[in-house]
Amino acid sequence: MGTETDDNPADHRNTFQPSSEEIEHWMQKAFDMAKEALENGEVPVGCLMVYNNEVLGRGRNEVNETKNATRHAEMVALDHVLQWCHQENRNSKEVFKETVLYVTVEPCIMCAGALRLLNIPLVVYGCRNERFGGCGSVLNVPADELPRTGAPFKCISGFRSEEAVELLKLFYKQENPNAPKPKARKD
Amino acid sequence: MEPQCKRRKASESETVAWDVFPVLSDEQSQDAELLEAYAAPIINKKETSRLVKELASIYPLPGVQHIKRVRACKDSGSLNPLEVIVCLVRDVQPIPNNKDLSISALLPSDRVDISGLGKPFLVKVPAYPPLTRPQFEQASRHWPTSFHEDKRVTVALKGQLFTADQKAKMQKFMTAAVMAAKAGRALGMDAVGAVIVDPQTERVLATGHDCRGGANPLHHAVMVCIDLVARGQGGGAYKFDRYPTCQFSVPTSSPHQSRTVISPSVDLLGLDQAEQSWVPYICTGYDLYVTREPCVMCAMALVHSRIGRVFYGVASEDGALGTKYKIHTQKDLNHHFEVFKGVLEQECEELKQDGALIK
Repeated sequence: MGTETDDNPADHRNTFQPSSEEIEHWMQKAFDMAKEALENGEVPVGCLMVYNNEVLGRGRNEVNETKNATRHAEMVALDHVLQWCHQENRNSKEVFKETVLYVTVEPCIMCAGALRLLNIPLVVYGCRNERFGGCGSVLNVPADELPRTGAPFKCISGFRSEEAVELLKLFYKQENPNAPKPKARKD
Repeated sequence: MEPQCKRRKASESETVAWDVFPVLSDEQSQDAELLEAYAAPIINKKETSRLVKELASIYPLPGVQHIKRVRACKDSGSLNPLEVIVCLVRDVQPIPNNKDLSISALLPSDRVDISGLGKPFLVKVPAYPPLTRPQFEQASRHWPTSFHEDKRVTVALKGQLFTADQKAKMQKFMTAAVMAAKAGRALGMDAVGAVIVDPQTERVLATGHDCRGGANPLHHAVMVCIDLVARGQGGGAYKFDRYPTCQFSVPTSSPHQSRTVISPSVDLLGLDQAEQSWVPYICTGYDLYVTREPCVMCAMALVHSRIGRVFYGVASEDGALGTKYKIHTQKDLNHHFEVFKGVLEQECEELKQDGALIK
């Protein structure tokens, strides 16, 4: 499990380093969601947003029903947090600064950008996403020099990654009937 | 699309006061990388083919097949009008002092008749085959190289890819994006506007502006437009009804229409385009016009949405289609598209300067 931490207690953002028990607990819930999704023929990605020991957002991929290719689980979960803030009359900027994302697969480049724009401090994920990963695999959006794109965030990667990969493999054996005929990749 | 090589008439430039340039990959836009090599004059021109053959058998120069083995000497008054690449510096043991360099240090005399070669000297040769004419011209100043020219890229780099007619249409669509940006600004949003167009029917399918000042801080103009296209296809995740400028229309296509007529048949990036399909599928084959370069979230959203082409007015500080990243040419991704900048540049720059609301 890889992590980059510096133990500077003065850094407010470091207070969102959850204990290993917490990580275990929330990632178990994320994996339960992923398995449930697979059983329903959906992309097996489990994703939850935890604020102050409370789940504010749960996402599943909603690309097919919305015909909007940006409706990844993380984007859906972020919307849930925004809705919660709206209902509870809370300042979403303050809430996002203390919200951790637990997700079974590395967020894609788009989702990493969204998380960064909202100043999410920490992302815990399972397996790498070699096709689209924005937290180290294809690009490293949380760490790159992007002064106008929110704040950099930390990642804890590799949590039960083999299991997360296995779930994805099971899913991609089935075909997505909505996608256009894919072309064979070069190289 | 055929390259438009014809020069624009002077009178046409009155209506369109901007140029549009392609945003190419790093490989296409970077300076030529150079390698050091040893070259030597050919003393007797008649021995050239023998020398080339013998040198090639000892130093076949793998990986740099694009460079010409022999060049005509720059100085025409020279005693030896031809020079030949002996080997790359990396092919031989390091030679401490190049001043005392002799041909026998580079070549085994039992395999080459070295009397045909003069005193060797160091040269720089292009490490990779040039991809564009500017790279070719730069590389050729060091040593001649072969070049398989993509004429469309050459024309595009001169800002001459599109006809006056096509540019007039681009101006119309970007004007709609600028109007949307202004409408958004009037509502307290950042002044960014976008439209998504089906280039086949030339219909605007979605018009949007930045909506971050509303309920969702991720509602950048591009994200708004992508969802509006989804609405037009019977989907969509949001309602933008309270923003009168944010609109969508239902795509139409006539059965006789071939979806491959206007779309680029030659790919500027040398990469595969997603296959065109009859049923509208997300943003496949569509053009996006946006007043400024999209951020990393929006740029990747366009990859996921299979956008056809992107035209933007001006670059952004953290832009992801040319400035900080070139997501549209990113090798590992499964969809690539062409990006052009400079459309209605002046008007888009003005929007940027008075865009007050930045997070």
